[in-house]
Amino acid sequence: MQAFEYIPATTVKEAIAILAREGEQARVLSGGTDLIVQLREGRRKVRAVIDIKQIPEVNELSYDPATGLQIGAAVPCYRIYGSPAIAAAYPGLIDAVSLIGGVQIQGRATLGGNLCNSSPAADSIPALIAHQASALVMGENGERRIPIEEFCIAPGRTQLQRGEILLSIHIPPVSPYSGGAYLRFIPRNEMDIAVVGVGAWVALDQSGTTITAARIALGAVAPTPLYVPESGAGLIGKLVSSETVAEAATIAQAAARPITDMRGSAQQRSHLVGVLTRRALHIALKRAGYKSA
Amino acid sequence: MTPPIIQAIMTVGTSLPRIDALSKVTGEAHYPGDLVMPGMAHAKVLFARRPHARVISIDASAARAMPGVLAVFTGADLPVNEYGLVLFDAPVMVAPAASAATETSFDGVVRHEGEKIALIVAETEKIAARARDLITVIYEDMPVIASIHDAVKPDAMQIHPHYAGNLMHEYRIRRGDIDAGFAGADVIIEDTYFTGAQEHAYLQPEAGLAYVDEAGRITVQVAGQWVHEDQEQIAHALGLPKDQVRVIYPSIGGAFGGREDMSVQIVLALAAWKLNRPVKIIWTREESIIGHHKRHPMWAHARLGARRDGTLVAAEVTLIADAGPYAYTTTKVLGNATVMCVGPYVVPNVAINSRAVVTNNIPSGAFRGFGAPQALFVAETQMNKLAAALGVDAVALRLKNLLRDGSITVNNTPIPPGCTITDVVQKCVAAAAVAVSAPAISGQAGSRFVTGRGFACGHKNIGFSFGAPENCAATVELHGKTTVERAVVYHAGADCGQGAHTVFLQVAAETLGLPIEKITLVASDTATSGSSGSASASRLTFMASHSIVGAARAALDKWREGERPAVAHFVYRPRATTPMDPITGEADPNITYGYVAQSADIVIDRETGQFHVRRLVCADDVGRAVNPQQVVGQIEGGVVQALGWTGLENFAQRNGKVLSQHFSTYLIPSVFDVPDVVDSVLVENPDPHGAMGIRGMAEMPFLVVAPAVVAAIHDATGVWINELPITPERLRAALQK
Ligand SMILES: Cc1cc2nc3c(=O)[nH]c(=O)nc-3n(C[C@H](O)[C@H](O)[C@H](O)COP(=O)(O)OP(=O)(O)OC[C@H]3O[C@@H](n4cnc5c(N)ncnc54)[C@H](O)[C@@H]3O)c2cc1C
Repeated sequence: MQAFEYIPATTVKEAIAILAREGEQARVLSGGTDLIVQLREGRRKVRAVIDIKQIPEVNELSYDPATGLQIGAAVPCYRIYGSPAIAAAYPGLIDAVSLIGGVQIQGRATLGGNLCNSSPAADSIPALIAHQASALVMGENGERRIPIEEFCIAPGRTQLQRGEILLSIHIPPVSPYSGGAYLRFIPRNEMDIAVVGVGAWVALDQSGTTITAARIALGAVAPTPLYVPESGAGLIGKLVSSETVAEAATIAQAAARPITDMRGSAQQRSHLVGVLTRRALHIALKRAGYKSA
Repeated sequence: MTPPIIQAIMTVGTSLPRIDALSKVTGEAHYPGDLVMPGMAHAKVLFARRPHARVISIDASAARAMPGVLAVFTGADLPVNEYGLVLFDAPVMVAPAASAATETSFDGVVRHEGEKIALIVAETEKIAARARDLITVIYEDMPVIASIHDAVKPDAMQIHPHYAGNLMHEYRIRRGDIDAGFAGADVIIEDTYFTGAQEHAYLQPEAGLAYVDEAGRITVQVAGQWVHEDQEQIAHALGLPKDQVRVIYPSIGGAFGGREDMSVQIVLALAAWKLNRPVKIIWTREESIIGHHKRHPMWAHARLGARRDGTLVAAEVTLIADAGPYAYTTTKVLGNATVMCVGPYVVPNVAINSRAVVTNNIPSGAFRGFGAPQALFVAETQMNKLAAALGVDAVALRLKNLLRDGSITVNNTPIPPGCTITDVVQKCVAAAAVAVSAPAISGQAGSRFVTGRGFACGHKNIGFSFGAPENCAATVELHGKTTVERAVVYHAGADCGQGAHTVFLQVAAETLGLPIEKITLVASDTATSGSSGSASASRLTFMASHSIVGAARAALDKWREGERPAVAHFVYRPRATTPMDPITGEADPNITYGYVAQSADIVIDRETGQFHVRRLVCADDVGRAVNPQQVVGQIEGGVVQALGWTGLENFAQRNGKVLSQHFSTYLIPSVFDVPDVVDSVLVENPDPHGAMGIRGMAEMPFLVVAPAVVAAIHDATGVWINELPITPERLRAALQK
């Protein structure tokens, strides 16, 4: 492990000041389950590590049915699924946070870290995109809000500018007759990096049979998590059926730009996008209140 | 009447808790990586990390000049720069040929990625690592031969001077008349198979501490499988008499065959000897993965002929094993695979050709099953295909052809008495017929899930084969005045985590009639015991129980004669075996065999190609279960390890470079991947060769998981898989055909 200066920041301002001063030479430390591994393996070199876990604002987790869910950047996964109200309201998000790593990892890992690490295979990001989440970012010149689908720009690189820090992630309130789901494929049953991940979210009309809104996002099939608006758009106004779901899956497949690596071939990934999109949509529809015949 | 000195103590056959359980769960037990000594220095290895290259020069001057660095050793510092378990054909550290004082013909060339170049010893591990990175090695890269098929091409470069044509070893078996046999066959099954390499993935990567002990011996505390073999190889490389080297095993964090060959032993001993200071090393997981051998990848082409009534008439197999560049245990593994590759059946006409081929891949060597899993994957899949082709039940087909006492094997000699596989098969089938409540298939049920059941059985040798010297020593000391108050057992056998030492004490307690608390075991130290042979080949319980019973009985005799303390030493030597005839393969190759039968119930997700084993029934004839809980532990562990090899573990090498160097890319089964139910059926037919009827068992549960799963996949989908591992992608591709 390389030597670095460990700075436990106590205010957002302090963290931003150090980030502005040090630039690439400093990194925020949240749960550390990505950062520490990268530092140890020499994949990242930094002079300073700024621990944000003692900053009160980024530890806030609040849910209000009227305003939605706000997840502080340093809130670990277990707190999210440990809240019965949140678990009931956003099962599609829970799908993702409860499969990141294992129990020990979930005790530390944060959605903020998952997002800022900007891995193409990050499990929470497709789920967040599907749920129309946004990131609240703060820098020396104030705050800005970024839709999650725009947050990652390349593997390991985000929209964050010098001196900027992620404060929180916001998910809109749950609309009636809506539901989300996240599925990933790995060859074994836990602890692996997604071969493909799919987040899906749908809303139905009051009759529970016609789709009024849908969002699909894919993981591990492009340099960044991929929002596929056309896949969801194609569902709008349609009656729920296996055929409409299959069509959306085909559109998602067409949007995927997978590569071949040790975890799977491009061909297998493309196939899995179709399978998982269909399955995730079916789960989301069920959660939205659709009762299959 | 003198009172009997032996009370009836029933410990054999009871699930006594492990004697080391408490110390392991509390963290008190010391593994090699936990050992510390005052004044201890730390070492790092410089690995070649290239598969084939000539070493032109090694410049360690900058490393040596670094503050805190004590020494940099290279191959030139070794009096005899070679090692190997069956043949001394590998350099301990590759040194430029011209500079080595003791030049051997295989010096100077790096032949696989994990080859060692230098050992750096420093005051801290960090300094050693930094100094390692200051060493400049000039290499001249050579063409890399990464496949067995390329290695045997006529114009292929010879990788190792000992192995012309890149052929390391070959066997031949000829029994009966193969052409006449096939001419009389109504059905012939013919196919090509491939099985992949496997990493042992023991919890504890290689580590050790070496120092000069109070008697002036170079002492290495390390995790291994045979202290006396380690001692011999260290002494050989250092050019010292054996009694100047001492090897001790503290707690061992798993072995599975992966610790049979040298890893850190020789270089640690060299450093402690030259520096006269304790020196410690701990390999990282990445170093461990390239630093020790793997299960042999094997390619096979097989033909099996039978009459319409299911009687086997002919079997022909060509086997090619990828040995990597050095022998390790390849010649023996290949021998086993050769003997086992037509399965546990009577086949009157047999032709087998097997070869071990040299490549620039990581060396292959011992791994639980020692060639038998690869061989039985071929044999049993052939049998299952034959059953399908004949339209008969796969179990009935086997019952018709199984070896039994008096049967003649492929080696043209009778199977050793105690051949119980028919009983084992029947017990497995009976257990599998009893319904158990397995968890329901998760997720939305529907057409995407299909289920199937598959069966396979097999046999494997217990103990060393083919005439290799086989023996096991024990010493028993009895203390007391009129009655035996306490006893001490000295035994070298390694407890790799399988519970061998608990078994040693149980056997001693039963023989001596002493409660186990009154017996002390002094184990795994070349300074206190004679050689036990290795913890391998399913042999240790079988061999050690004989030696302990022998020594205990002899000590009791001396006690009766009045000797105080009564001390007896006993070396058990089983019946002799013979090597295979080079032309016909005729031999009495093995002392005795273990027998196993397995039934697998699986569910397949047709859309993703993923399969999951819902229930695995494993019947294993253990002769006598000394400690039933430990036997079940071996069965469950063996089954899961075999499932990893069958479906998940893809040891990827490209052009001689290991791609799966981390557990994030080399996927071993996690707790969610184990079968929902494992039924361990302990069959106890006393082995006529065993003390108290004990038979070895630890490899058997691994043997036929793969062919049972392949048969279950066929049952579910109608598709045969010929290649391991059955990754989801591979299975899906097969389903689409
Ligand atoms: C054993 C293991 C298993 C894993 N399994 C999974 C898995 O199944 N799925 C998955 O997606 N990931 C997995 N991961 C990766 C990792 O756990 C997740 O990405 C996790 O969510 C990262 O969160 P963290 O809080 O630990 O991030 P950290 O390591 O603290 O940070 C990650 C990166 O984000 C930056 N960062 C963090 N917070 C901020 C902020 N507020 N502002 C600006 N930059 C910030 C850091 O500087 C760093 O570059 C696994 C990791 C391990 C070690």
